[in-house]
Amino acid sequence: MVTVEAPVVGITVLYFLAIVAIGYYSRQRLKSATDYYVAGRQVGAVVNGLALESTYLSPASMLGLPAYIFILGYPFWWAMSAIIAGMPIATLLTASALRKYAPTSFADYYADRYNDQRLRWLVGIVTVIGAVLYITLSIVGMALFLLAIAKVPYIVGVIVGTIIVMLYVVWGGMIATSWNAAFQAFLMTLAAVIAAVAILIKLGGISGFYEAVAANNPKFWNTPSDPEVPHLLSGTWIAVIGWFFVWHYGFATMPYTVVRFFTTMDIKTARRSIFWCTLAAGIFYMALQIIGAGSKLLIETGPMGGEGANAVSILKNYMAQYGVGGWPDYSMVAAVEALQNPWILGILCAGGLAIAMSTAAGWVMVVNTLVTRDWGDMMLKSRYAKENPITLARIISVIFLLVGLAIAVNPPGLVLDLSGWAFVVIISALGPGLILGLWWKRATRAAMWTTAIIMTPLHLYAWLKAKLVLGHHAFFFLNDVLFGDKTALITPHQVWAIPVGFILFIIVSLITKPVEKEAVEKYCIELTKEV
Amino acid sequence: MPWPPKVFWVGLVVYYGFVAICWIAEATSGINHVVGLPFWYASFLGTFLIPLLMSVIYFYFPEKAEEARGGA
Repeated sequence: MVTVEAPVVGITVLYFLAIVAIGYYSRQRLKSATDYYVAGRQVGAVVNGLALESTYLSPASMLGLPAYIFILGYPFWWAMSAIIAGMPIATLLTASALRKYAPTSFADYYADRYNDQRLRWLVGIVTVIGAVLYITLSIVGMALFLLAIAKVPYIVGVIVGTIIVMLYVVWGGMIATSWNAAFQAFLMTLAAVIAAVAILIKLGGISGFYEAVAANNPKFWNTPSDPEVPHLLSGTWIAVIGWFFVWHYGFATMPYTVVRFFTTMDIKTARRSIFWCTLAAGIFYMALQIIGAGSKLLIETGPMGGEGANAVSILKNYMAQYGVGGWPDYSMVAAVEALQNPWILGILCAGGLAIAMSTAAGWVMVVNTLVTRDWGDMMLKSRYAKENPITLARIISVIFLLVGLAIAVNPPGLVLDLSGWAFVVIISALGPGLILGLWWKRATRAAMWTTAIIMTPLHLYAWLKAKLVLGHHAFFFLNDVLFGDKTALITPHQVWAIPVGFILFIIVSLITKPVEKEAVEKYCIELTKEV
Repeated sequence: MPWPPKVFWVGLVVYYGFVAICWIAEATSGINHVVGLPFWYASFLGTFLIPLLMSVIYFYFPEKAEEARGGA
């Protein structure tokens, strides 16, 4: 009989009650389709900022990130720094202009800027693929936290987590999603900060922490310039730069953050919301850096460890015990369990559920708007979609969550890994059309189509070849052909695709017919004026 | 041609400049081996304070400019 301590159960139940209550309350404020899709554009800076944080940062931050940090070493901290610095960069790059434009769905800008309604199909398809992968990952994340901490059977966790997200998304649409995501951001940040402070206290402050980590993992603080590198994947400066940039521009271009810019009251609120997001996310990631650096030591010296213990072996035991996901996915849970404090473990469970649910809900909101409004109403001219937008959006939300649930019941490892592919493919296939569409008059319709159509399968092929043939998504996919060594060049998640996508877009734009002057004036020059 | 405001470039130069200086100092002087120092420059400054300052200047100066133009 597995026992779960009372604080873990109590905090988890309280968390569920709170988000269901927020969802139910927000139902009363829902009056129109605009309320459902973009929360009536009435979300304030603090709520939107916190919602941005919890939506953007996926459950991977609370599951496997500690293992990534202790394996790749301190250079991985810079990848985390770049994720946070990507948030303010979005303020003036995309957020201000897009809020001035005030669209409803992620595809609106592409259709209007390039004067081509068919782009709603193209942008929608790439987005839907990413959404299914992320929703599945999030449902698996919820169930893993419930399984590993609250000892709830995996299948029960999958069903309970999905139903609760379904309840509040169906009830309150973007209003419920925004308020819940803000609450979830507060919880997950609090959970990480409490765990990090407990680790610093246990190890004797910043200096004690540094020395204890160095004693346990002598290569941890090394860089590629040291004689012994922390790991093959962080062993060259090119690799470190690859990790630095791989998630850096996601905040400015990913659908689930971009649509949050539409929900704010005005352009001023949109800008200020990114301040709140950067503040909370910066604190959260500082805490995760500490937890990650200290996790190997904690796991090896905790109750599961002992003389000669190895963190990776212990995490593999976790995986064998629970039978879901990969061994790195248990690194946060194992590190916090080693602190032997049921209150911290309870808050971690709530925080983990929070980060997973907010990401799932954020993606569901992106795709229910795309499918209902863009595809159903605008492209297929469905009378039902026009007359019953909220009902249809609710049905679409349920369908996407059920698809995620069905895959999450027995998730293939590759599907979970592919969320990393989805992140980079959206930036490389759709990012150039968004950023250059705003800032470059010469951006053309043909370039938008070409970039999306070429980069999506090219990046999928490269990612799969790197992962399945060479052995890791971080190996450059042509290493064997060009260098005769599968590990010669490290390009995490095939990060090269982002500059290649931009270069392709620019070349095709220069040799193809410009977009009509009125569209360029309205959606490029006017939108970016005085942002 | 549309062009982001000057403050955007200031933020980028500050952040990327700071990261480049840190990496150069790590490669040449090994500052990552000074006890506790990576926490202060990579975590506190690089992950928290400098991005936060960027987010402040990115709303403060555009709002000042709007006020000067007599806007909101």
